[in-house]
Parts: sequence; structure tokens; C-alpha cells
Amino acid sequence: MGLVAIGAAIAVLTGAGAGVGIGIATAKAAEAIARQPEAKKDIRSAMLLGCVLAEATAIYGFVIALLIIVMLGK
Amino acid sequence: MDNLSEKLMEELENHTAFTIPIFGGIPVPDSCAVSWIIIAVVVLLSIILTHNMKKVPQGKQCLLEIGITWMNDFFLDTLGPHGKKYLPILETFMIYIGFSNLIGLFGFVPPTKDINVTVALAVMASILIQVAGFKEKGGKKWAKGFLEPMPAMLPMNLLELVTRPLSMSMRLFGNVLGAFVVMELIKICIPGGIPVPFSLYFDIFDGAIQAYVFVFLTSLFMAEAIEE
Repeated sequence: MGLVAIGAAIAVLTGAGAGVGIGIATAKAAEAIARQPEAKKDIRSAMLLGCVLAEATAIYGFVIALLIIVMLGK
Repeated sequence: MDNLSEKLMEELENHTAFTIPIFGGIPVPDSCAVSWIIIAVVVLLSIILTHNMKKVPQGKQCLLEIGITWMNDFFLDTLGPHGKKYLPILETFMIYIGFSNLIGLFGFVPPTKDINVTVALAVMASILIQVAGFKEKGGKKWAKGFLEPMPAMLPMNLLELVTRPLSMSMRLFGNVLGAFVVMELIKICIPGGIPVPFSLYFDIFDGAIQAYVFVFLTSLFMAEAIEE
């Protein structure tokens, strides 16, 4: 039972990568907007795309963790 | 742990709301019944909001026009002038997903928590993208698009047809289910009024963002498919 919990926790660690990725994307977008406020719209949609794609990894990790708990946690 | 996994299993399951007593009984899952409620609400809203429209907008018509203009501008920005005829279906996606993510606030089960719904939405979106590319570019150019940037990329491009709807459906499902599970856990751990700010974030903000992201990705892929 403890091992299942550890496995789920390891799967959720993917969130760290997504967090770092979204952080970098947002930092750069803030910099870009500060440098060129008139390009705000384009920068925002580009940032959103990057954030969404980075976030997908975290979601996969979460789904896998959920599956581990549900399937093996009995 | 036993308790948690049972509870999670219960949340993952799709309960049957009721059964239609023809052809030996057709089970109607919760997500479908709630979708019908959403359809009824949206139809009613559109009848009420578009009733008695005037040339110079007033009151509710102003709100409606602000919303529609915002959505039109947003999609036209990404799609370019060719995408004008795809605006209604994309806006329908947005309204439906937005409503179904936020309906959890009123005590219903959000339909997007059912993976069947999100997969259906993602498959519909990717068929729409391909049809739009086929219609705008013509069959030959559309088929040629799979060989770009070079013919060796063909398997990757074909694979993309599968992975895009997969990732889109998983993203929506994972986000909604994740918010749902976290909210349940918070409600168990700290009862009282404390979960309210969390609910604001997880239910409203996250739901709205996911509705936006889904149509944003669809329109981005579509812009890529229809560009000359």
C-alpha cells in the first residue's frame, strides 16, 4: 500500500517541470511586454500556447497518478 | 488509502441519471442529462437576450454585443479573414465548454468530468480542423500538407492526427477532474467557509481558462490548416 502512494507521488513530480516551464514562459513574456507594450496581444497568445503545452505534461502526470491510485490502491 | 481510492473510483465513475424505456432501455449518463440542461439554459438565454433587439443597444443587448464582439475579434485575430464562416461553431464550443465547466457551482456534475464528453469534443474539433483545411485549400493541397516540411515527416504528421485530439481531450478532462478532486479533498480537510476562495480559483478561474484554451488551440490548429 505504501509503495502505491510513493508511485503516485513520483508520477505527480512531473508537475515540477511544468511549473518551471510556465514560470520561464511568463517571465519572458513579462520582459517582452515591458520592452514592446504595443505587441502585447501577440505576446500573450504566444505565451498562452507555450503555457498550455507545458501544462499538458503536468496533466499527464496527474492522470497517471490517479490511475495508479485507482487501479492499484485496493 | 483504501478510503481515498474508493472515493476516487466513485468520482471517476459515470452514474446513470435515468433509463429511457425503449429498445430494452437506453441508459442516459449524468453528463448527457446535464448537457441537456445546459442546452435548455443556453437556448432560453439566447431567446431572452435576442428578444426585442434595437438598432441602438440598451441594457442586456449591450452585454450580449460586448461578449459576441469579443469572441468574434478573438477568433478573427487567430484565423484571419478566411476563418469568418467558422466563427459560429467555434463560439458554440466555447459557450458549451464554459457552461459545462462552471455548472459545478450550481451543484451539477460538470459534463466535462466525463472523459467520453471531452474525447467527443476533441474528435469533433479535429475533424472540423481537417474539413476546414480540405475546403479552404482544396483536396490536392490538403493532402500535400501531410508531406510538409519534407516527405520524411509523413508518419509524424499522421501521428499528429491522433495525438492532437488525445492531448486536447486529456487536458480538458484532467483539469476539470483535478479541480474536482482537489476541491473534494479541501472540503474534507477544512470544512466551513474556508474552501470558498479555493472554489473561486478552481471552479471559476480554471474552468473559464480551460474553455478559452480549448477553443484557442482549436483555432490555432485551424489557422495552420487553412493558411495558404
